[in-house]
Amino acid sequence: MRLLSSAFVALLAFARLSFAASSSGDSVLVLLDTSLDRENYSIFFGGLEKRGYSLTFRAPKDASPAITDYDVPNFDHVIFFSPEAKSYAQDITPQSLVGLLSEKTNLLIALSPKQTPLTSLATEFSLILPPPETPLISHHPVRSERPTTIPVAVSSSSPLLTPGIPPVWFSGAPHALGNNPMLVPILRAPAESFAADSTDDTGADGIVDATEKGGEGLWAGSQMGLVTGFQTNVNSRVVFAGGIDLFSDEYARKELPSGTPSGNSQFARDIATWVFQETLTLRIDSVEHHRVNQTEAPEMYTTNDEIVYTAHISSYDSRTSTWKPYSGIGDLQLEFTMLDPHIRTSLPPVPGSPGAYQVQFRAPDRHGVFKFILNWKRKGYSYLSSSTTVPVVPPRHDGYPRFLSAAWPYYTGAISTSAGFFLFAALWLAGDVKGERKKGSKAE
Amino acid sequence: MILRLSWLLLAATVRAASLSLQSPRFTISTSDATQLRSDTLSLTKKPEPLTLGATDTLKLTFQITDNDEGKGVQPHQTFLRFYDKVSGEEGIQPVRVTPGGKAKFELNMARPPASIPPTTQNPLEVSLILGSFVHAPAKYDLFNIYLPASQTPAEHPDEASFHVLPTIEHTFRPEQKLPPQFISAVFAAAVLSPWVVLIGLWGKVGVRVPHLFSPSIVPFTVLLGGFEVLLVWYWVDLKLGQVLLYGGMLAIPTMFAGKQALYTTGEWRAGRK
Repeated sequence: MRLLSSAFVALLAFARLSFAASSSGDSVLVLLDTSLDRENYSIFFGGLEKRGYSLTFRAPKDASPAITDYDVPNFDHVIFFSPEAKSYAQDITPQSLVGLLSEKTNLLIALSPKQTPLTSLATEFSLILPPPETPLISHHPVRSERPTTIPVAVSSSSPLLTPGIPPVWFSGAPHALGNNPMLVPILRAPAESFAADSTDDTGADGIVDATEKGGEGLWAGSQMGLVTGFQTNVNSRVVFAGGIDLFSDEYARKELPSGTPSGNSQFARDIATWVFQETLTLRIDSVEHHRVNQTEAPEMYTTNDEIVYTAHISSYDSRTSTWKPYSGIGDLQLEFTMLDPHIRTSLPPVPGSPGAYQVQFRAPDRHGVFKFILNWKRKGYSYLSSSTTVPVVPPRHDGYPRFLSAAWPYYTGAISTSAGFFLFAALWLAGDVKGERKKGSKAE
Repeated sequence: MILRLSWLLLAATVRAASLSLQSPRFTISTSDATQLRSDTLSLTKKPEPLTLGATDTLKLTFQITDNDEGKGVQPHQTFLRFYDKVSGEEGIQPVRVTPGGKAKFELNMARPPASIPPTTQNPLEVSLILGSFVHAPAKYDLFNIYLPASQTPAEHPDEASFHVLPTIEHTFRPEQKLPPQFISAVFAAAVLSPWVVLIGLWGKVGVRVPHLFSPSIVPFTVLLGGFEVLLVWYWVDLKLGQVLLYGGMLAIPTMFAGKQALYTTGEWRAGRK
């Protein structure tokens, strides 16, 4: 019976794996605020379910289903659609969310101009939020909507977005970005927009005052982020969106001031595919190294050896749910380091063999414990890192060249002495000494 | 064009009036109040790029009026935007406007405001953004300005690892230099020269070896020759352990052969045979 049930569990696990659109699993917990209606986000949630995710809904204050049991995450991804919830059940604290990320759970977090525990979490990810209750305002372009409902042009510079997405509707809070390179800016604010709490023109002096005082400053311009991702060192991903309406059916169906459909649904889908590790997900399958003209990795290298290093990299294909060899990285670099890199060289893809990157280089004439280090980090992509330790030793006593032309006199000297000794021994033993015998016979 | 028209149409329906900029004027003066350049700004054509020294002051004055009534107004948003097209850096500076619509902005490079972005050799594009809850918004490209280059902002320690790093090549020690082979050959010949003398002298003296193939001498001579061969072999190929092993094996018969050879020679020399 136990055998049967374990077989069933294994089958379930296999089935789950085979349908996963994401490279890290397909179970999603959605924390949906009780004030929000699930139907308002049906396009976004429906799209997720269509791609094979199983969504579990829960109110922020519900105790079950728990996010983790005994520090083991119960879900592969968590969506926080509770931008205004001030309190959560005991299992959700900023610390526990950081713990989730280090356990490779991905988070999609919607913020709002209100101050909540999640805004203080965002601060820990180098996002600098404006004071509470100051939403993003833009008077440009002229439109019939309120100034806080803003069409934002989508920049094509972010690699995780489908090129050519039309502008998206946004309302919520902006954030300034710290200089942390792990941040992945996805949507920037329009240059004309700014964060302010005033609702009529008399608030103009307040904006100038706030800036001049220097304490609060001004959240304005295109350097601000509206939707920003962060990729952790263990390659889990988190996205902070400044407003939840971005994902709503209302904004997905709303026409832009120019009369064309908005890009919200495509934009929300692109964000979700990135944060749930469907796109731009890479991994190193294996690395190998050997001397040139050999195939096996030696126990140790000798200085000045010609070394061949190969890495095999694949990327996740969410359509077939498989890892496929990936040769698209053009700027991969390999370091051969002992404390400091002694050699840093590019590791180009091998034409004709997908996923393989290979370089040949000469080991430095320094002996010691070296490492092959592969460390590729680019915004938006999974980080690739690999470190292989190899000893590099000086040549053995018989590893040096044997016949130096400079040593010819020494060789001839040694050979001549040896030959002389042999000749002398042979002559002395075999020769006949005249006179000696007479002397000897005389004495007798 | 159609897009812009539709926006204008919207503006007409949504917002009654639009804002306009009156008598925009700039003055550049040095720290001792000498005027370097002063001009009115045209809103259709950008002037020659402005240049500001490290202690100079730029003064910008303008008035914002309502298009319909021509009365000065205070809009919600009066921002100067400094934008570096090359680096993408941007700074937004709000300008204080009086209720009468008059505005004055001073940029003193001795004490630049925090909103000025990090500058390089490239000019900053300066534009004025006007926005209001009751009027249609407006945006004016005013001028380009060269500011003294600022210090580069502090970088995150991990920032470098997110870019292509410069390649590092190891500088190898130079190959060992050998003297010309001719010189080596000459010296090798010099080492061999005593043989010429020796063979010459022997030729004079005359060497006789009557016992060379005597059965008591030949084994020792052959074994001694074996040792010589072993040493040459060691130089070319063998390892020390092998040499010691083979040498040890050779040593035992050599010892007895040598003893026999010496004994026999002694007998001959003593004239017993």
